[in-house]
Amino acid sequence: MNISLDPWIWISALLTVSIFSFLYRDNPFYRFAEHIFVGVANGWAVTFYWHNILVPSLFDPLFRRGQLLLIIPFIIGILYLTRFIPRVSWLVRIPIGITMGYYVGASIPADVQAYIIKQTQGTILTSQNFQAWNAGNMGVVWSIILFVGVICTLSYFYFSKEHKGVLGITSRIGIIFVMIGFGAAFGYTVMARISLLIGRLQFLLGDWLGVIH
Amino acid sequence: MKIIDILAKIDRRIIYLILLVVVILPLIFPSAQSVRVMPPVEKFFNAVDNIPEEKALIIDFDYTPQDMPELEPMAIALLRHAFKKRIKVLALSLYVQPLGLAQRALTQVTEEFNSTAETSADSIIYGRDYVFLGWQVGPILAMLSMGESITNFYNIDYYGNRTDTLLLMKHIKNYNNVGIVAALSPSDIPRYWVAYAQNRFGVAVGAGVTSVSASEFYPYLQTGQFSGLMIGMKGAAEYEEMVEKELSVAGRRKASESLPSITYAHLLIIAFIIIGNIGHFVKRRQK
Amino acid sequence: MKKTFPLFLLFIFGILGIIPFIVPHPIVQDTNNFLLNVFLKILAAFALILGLGSLLRVHMDKIKRKRQNWQYSWVLIITFIITSIIGLFGGVTGEGILPTRIGSFSFDIWTLYFNIEVPLGATMFALLAFFMASAAYRAFRARSSEATLLLVSAFIIMIGVLPLGERISHHLPSFTQWIMDVPNVAAQRGILFGVALGMLATALKIILGIERSWLGGGGGE
Repeated sequence: MNISLDPWIWISALLTVSIFSFLYRDNPFYRFAEHIFVGVANGWAVTFYWHNILVPSLFDPLFRRGQLLLIIPFIIGILYLTRFIPRVSWLVRIPIGITMGYYVGASIPADVQAYIIKQTQGTILTSQNFQAWNAGNMGVVWSIILFVGVICTLSYFYFSKEHKGVLGITSRIGIIFVMIGFGAAFGYTVMARISLLIGRLQFLLGDWLGVIH
Repeated sequence: MKIIDILAKIDRRIIYLILLVVVILPLIFPSAQSVRVMPPVEKFFNAVDNIPEEKALIIDFDYTPQDMPELEPMAIALLRHAFKKRIKVLALSLYVQPLGLAQRALTQVTEEFNSTAETSADSIIYGRDYVFLGWQVGPILAMLSMGESITNFYNIDYYGNRTDTLLLMKHIKNYNNVGIVAALSPSDIPRYWVAYAQNRFGVAVGAGVTSVSASEFYPYLQTGQFSGLMIGMKGAAEYEEMVEKELSVAGRRKASESLPSITYAHLLIIAFIIIGNIGHFVKRRQK
Repeated sequence: MKKTFPLFLLFIFGILGIIPFIVPHPIVQDTNNFLLNVFLKILAAFALILGLGSLLRVHMDKIKRKRQNWQYSWVLIITFIITSIIGLFGGVTGEGILPTRIGSFSFDIWTLYFNIEVPLGATMFALLAFFMASAAYRAFRARSSEATLLLVSAFIIMIGVLPLGERISHHLPSFTQWIMDVPNVAAQRGILFGVALGMLATALKIILGIERSWLGGGGGE
């Protein structure tokens, strides 16, 4: 055992234990640590927004190098502040409208191509898709299962018609695929959560208490 | 029936304690577990390994403290791979919170290599072998802009240098000079790389994701939109295995060290589900 | 004016977002580069004001009205101010006007990040492991054939992905991989199609001014 003598390691460890204390019940230590987290995280963000973006990309070129065109995004950016001034709060819609417009516009061709066209191409039964898994002849069978699975899953989520007859059968098959998929997601979720706990225990037992190396 | 009664009413704090013990013991008494590398990680490794000499690897560090244990080992393994094979690296973060963790990973692996280097040619040198582009606001803006020019969007690097003055950036203009983008992210960012960077500019994308979102990303692997996929601690351990076995790069393997704890924790969770169900169904039958 | 003008701007910038995907003309690409590298980047930086302003307003309001646990809002505001001062004036590479070291004790922005933000953020999410274990015991019941299928699939994944799976049977990891590659992809892709079509419909509704909830309150035409 080789306990750390670094005061910052002790601060980290005590904050870690404060958060873990929530497992027993909600308490002032937990709440204190939780609020510190939000404060520090936002202070960190402000620091880098200033040093990485606003100074080198706006204030320096505008005020030191005289790139006057930058006055336009500067003024429109400032309009975000009007959100907190009731009389002119509508002006915040201008920077939001511009930003949202561009993002939404750019998303349309990107989404169609990446999520609809490419994914459809990956589903249809082609010789190229049969090779996707390097599984030889079984690739054909797997492609058929995948194709049927996608169609049946879609039919399960189709609620405009009662699930009877053919739709009843396909949606029943669809739910099988959905449950296998959700089960897989749950299995992996367990791994994710445990991994995060291991990370903290490695810190407490290693960096702080020196029990593990 | 008394045992059933006890099993049906275990206090949550006892459950917490059992979990804690099960995870801690394998950390204190480690045991080696060999890792079998599965195709998604093998593909990823090969995609990075086959980057031509004149092209770079972009590593997008998008993990935050909240998901660091799963994704940081991937970053370390990728950096070891790239530095060992002298693949040029451009590191960046699309969000502000991961910035510090990216810097830490770069420093760690650079020091690992430089501590054994004897000449300048052996060393990993900033500006020549890698550049840390740091962070600029707007993930999608970055992805779209880098198709035209990387240095126009990332005008300054993490250290405040103008990026167009760095030696490496004289050869790396845009995605045409990039072999693959390795996106290490707990969010939808790898999909955005596909939608915005790959669709328009044709760059290859590999994803390192948390296990929570693993199942959502598989459709992109089958279509070839992802050139490889690393999932959580296990994916990171597989990459560590390949880097050590194929490239003989030794170093701490944090993900592989965690596998015994994960194994016992998984068995415990399965046991909890089974015990919970037995208790429930026995009680229901009694009623 | 108060609604029509922002809607008009949104439409125009929506079109400016789509065009570069379709038209490779240099004028289009140059305009797009200006938007990406300068205009939208600076606007995105100012958007921080919205988030930060809302956060501080909520906590100031909590303090003013002495709502339950209001004292902790002071903790948040004070740590935010201290961290910001250290970051803004101490600099990110230690070159600022504010000293961030007393003897061997350093308190620069990096020290705060690695010793306060990192452990707190990581531990908050580590708590989920415990809650999940408790939920596994209490909530996951094999009440129907579908729920049983879900649990069986989860068990196979939990064992099959780990080295333990390899020890049980050499085929188990391959079978686990098959579940992820085929039935899982089918389910996820079915869901993905639904989500993608939904996103597309919403995007079109926003650009065409049919979906206006983003305008929020504040009135006007």
